[in-house]
Amino acid sequence: MKINSLLIANRGEIAIRVIQTAKLMGIETWVLKTSKEPNALYLSAADHVIDFSDHTDEILEFLDIEKIIRAAKDHKIDAVHPGYGFLAESPVFAQRCEDEKLIFIGPSPDAILKMGNKTIAKQLARKHKIPLLEGSLGDVKDPTEAKIIASKIGYPVILKAASGGGGRGMRIVENEKEIEKMFKMASSEAAKAFNDPAVFVEKYVRNPRHIEFQIFGDKQGNIIHLGERECSVQRKHQKLIEESPSAALDTDLRERMGKAAINIAKTVDYYSAGTVEFLLDSDNNFYFMEMNTRIQVEHPVTEMVTGLDLIEWQIRVAQDEPLPLKQKDVKITGWAFEFRINAEDVQAGFSPSLGVIEKMSLPKSKNIRIDSGIQEGAIITPYFDSMIAKLIIYGETREKAIQYSASALKKLWIKGLKTTIPFCKEVLNNSNFKKGKYDTSFLVKEMKIHYFQDKDAELLAAYFATYDFARRLKEDEDKSVDFGKGKSITPWILNKRMKSL
Amino acid sequence: MKDTNGKAVKDIFIACGEGKRTFEVVNPLDENVKIKGRKMDIQIFEDPDGFSYLIYKNHKYQVDILEKSQNKYTIMINGVWYHFSIETPISYKRRKFLSKSSSSSKIEKISAPMPGKILDILIEENADVKQGEAIIILEAMKMQNEILAHISGKVKKVYIKQNDLVMKDDILIEIERS
Repeated sequence: MKINSLLIANRGEIAIRVIQTAKLMGIETWVLKTSKEPNALYLSAADHVIDFSDHTDEILEFLDIEKIIRAAKDHKIDAVHPGYGFLAESPVFAQRCEDEKLIFIGPSPDAILKMGNKTIAKQLARKHKIPLLEGSLGDVKDPTEAKIIASKIGYPVILKAASGGGGRGMRIVENEKEIEKMFKMASSEAAKAFNDPAVFVEKYVRNPRHIEFQIFGDKQGNIIHLGERECSVQRKHQKLIEESPSAALDTDLRERMGKAAINIAKTVDYYSAGTVEFLLDSDNNFYFMEMNTRIQVEHPVTEMVTGLDLIEWQIRVAQDEPLPLKQKDVKITGWAFEFRINAEDVQAGFSPSLGVIEKMSLPKSKNIRIDSGIQEGAIITPYFDSMIAKLIIYGETREKAIQYSASALKKLWIKGLKTTIPFCKEVLNNSNFKKGKYDTSFLVKEMKIHYFQDKDAELLAAYFATYDFARRLKEDEDKSVDFGKGKSITPWILNKRMKSL
Repeated sequence: MKDTNGKAVKDIFIACGEGKRTFEVVNPLDENVKIKGRKMDIQIFEDPDGFSYLIYKNHKYQVDILEKSQNKYTIMINGVWYHFSIETPISYKRRKFLSKSSSSSKIEKISAPMPGKILDILIEENADVKQGEAIIILEAMKMQNEILAHISGKVKKVYIKQNDLVMKDDILIEIERS
């Protein structure tokens, strides 16, 4: 069925991203307005806004499944795109859409349910002989059971939330002494974040690379992959920089991993966009980790090197069209990076930096794409995550992409709060990163300092502080004497002021 | 700059940065400013978009005052921040004298590294803690963060309780060094 109207049940940059494609396809777009950000940019990007400002329930607006479905039905909207996040991974939401004859832009509720539960996903992978890490065959009841399994497979082990993702509810345990405390932390974090305290145990691979495959399926049963993304620049399992393709893969390994990714997707008759995550160890052994049944934050790097619009594909598949390409027609050209510009203070352990975006200056070029959900004057609140923009850079080769990235980051200026821009610059400055030799331990082991400092920056900062201080002193002096003197201005200041005109 | 008799005077300031790094700046408002004894040609300008820049050696640096109160400044240059206190030669001398005379306190305060919610307090008053031990679980942006004791000692005071919302730099607990 052709989709004529679409509700985007999300906010920020991903809402805007979906709206852009929907508009190109001639689809009417709807979004939800919340009291937390009544002036957000995504609201002005859409054709229609449904006002949820009066929402006072305990459940957050974007988590209230019934209210969202009711709104879509009331306005006779054909389809719902959940973006990424909670709704995209909720089998209940997908099922409820189906019940109400709303088209859900994403996979089947069954696929979300099975792949969303890591324990079931692993059992499926094991049955289909996809390489896996040793671990508990299912959820672990208590710390004692975790201890028994850990001593069998050997430390270090990792505890993970069965319904988790994004690094939450995850704990690495180095030895038996720590396991009880870590188990409790992982379990309580999982209960809080995902409403499910279930945790499982797994062998922990030290310093692996994080490689994920973008796969795509249609309702006719075709499944292909669109190459890989490397997401090894992470801090506490939160991705910060992604690239596609990965410098670690050759054609043979890419083919084997791609095939494994497709096979995983086949176990649940997958359709729509999905991501299969693998760990790759230093001997090029790969292990299936999990499958994300949604569009990912980092999907633009795949779009840059394939020249495809993944949101368009999602919409076409949802209206029962077959995939427009076969595996052999998928061509990866060039190299792309994505830098997550977060409102975080890298000089204070990446702590959230709240405040107002006073000014923004974005670089422009045909190699640069910026996906952002904010504009000048936007307030960064603690209600939502800290990402303010994604800087995506394309180059013909990895070296060129790095070179373009460095110059784009130099021209990206944000005034008013602290961001991860100096961090991104420092990564690009690292010789091993430049060579493509890095893994998930990069941040902790390879980076001595997490932000890039210009050679004379501290000295110039000292000068500027002193300049402002001296100017204030001078103004105070001028005010305290007679008015005649107050009018006169030193030629030096006059000179400086004239230059600034 | 000249005094009332038309004689040139020097305006001297000392910017005290972190890690005892100091920058002596002579005549900051003048064209020929001297920093650490070196004459430097730095230009300040503002573009119509509201950004301020320094131009030095043909490089452009985005500069912004993040915070200022009295003589304390936080300056951001190209996204990296620096703290300074600006002293005159006299106040600098006094500052040095004061820092020598005050003995280091036995009480260490642990403050919140980021705004968030106190999920769990793993210690209580009068408990002995070891350096590196987790004492508080702070949730920020949906992540749980362990706050560790940075010294060994006895917990003197706990200022917070479970589920409290704290701001960055709020004092959470006090530990008496052992």
